[in-house]
Amino acid sequence: MSREDNLNKNWKKDFPILKQEATQVSRRDFAKFLTLVSGGLMVGSGLVAAKAHLMPKEEVAGEHFVCKKDEVPLGGTRGFVIEGSTIPYILIHLETGEFKAYEQKCTHLSCSVFYKPGTGIIHCPCHEGSFDAKTGAVLAGPPPRALPKLEVFYKDNDIYVKAAVENTLS
Amino acid sequence: MSNFRKSQNQANPNKLNNILSTLIFILVFNVSIQIWLLYAALNNALDNHKEILIPAFIASLVLFLIGFGWLYYLPKGNFKR
Repeated sequence: MSREDNLNKNWKKDFPILKQEATQVSRRDFAKFLTLVSGGLMVGSGLVAAKAHLMPKEEVAGEHFVCKKDEVPLGGTRGFVIEGSTIPYILIHLETGEFKAYEQKCTHLSCSVFYKPGTGIIHCPCHEGSFDAKTGAVLAGPPPRALPKLEVFYKDNDIYVKAAVENTLS
Repeated sequence: MSNFRKSQNQANPNKLNNILSTLIFILVFNVSIQIWLLYAALNNALDNHKEILIPAFIASLVLFLIGFGWLYYLPKGNFKR
């Protein structure tokens, strides 16, 4: 195509003089655009699969000291971070006397969650999500997954956490 | 030599209209399924359930190829400038 033709045909098509021609999208172009979106979603799916298989999420390794049992009152919580990681966790002293440790990021949009003393519910204030403090399961609201948890165990009066055993049923 | 595409382009505008509408409907349908697949794959990846990811990607790929091959039937329009 000569330069003249290019200016007269394609340039005018891309930058039309009439407003109507600029705003109208032909159904042909729409169908092509849908295919482009379809390709994008396919690539996205591929990236998710590749990321999960090639760069898996790091598990918490080893045992980590959190605090002493008497430092957290009944119904109280304590935030902590594991060395070498930036993920915030909370340790909850349930009214039943148990200790539980969960990731403090809501599974919906990563807002920070807090324990509501006396209710057994971990609450996310951003979009009113609720989790069961005993299991981490979603009780209400938009969160799609249960809160990731750590296993809590004791050595005398000290509280330690380690990676929870995978529960394939949940 | 005449082929299917050539005669399709010479068809009645009403018929081309139907073809184009159907084509767009199928594409929108495919894209909806792909969005659902991506959403499910992402959720399962974050939950450490990896077994679903590869099938979801393959399904997405098949849907894209269907949509892409489908464009062969995109009418060119039979009006002349």
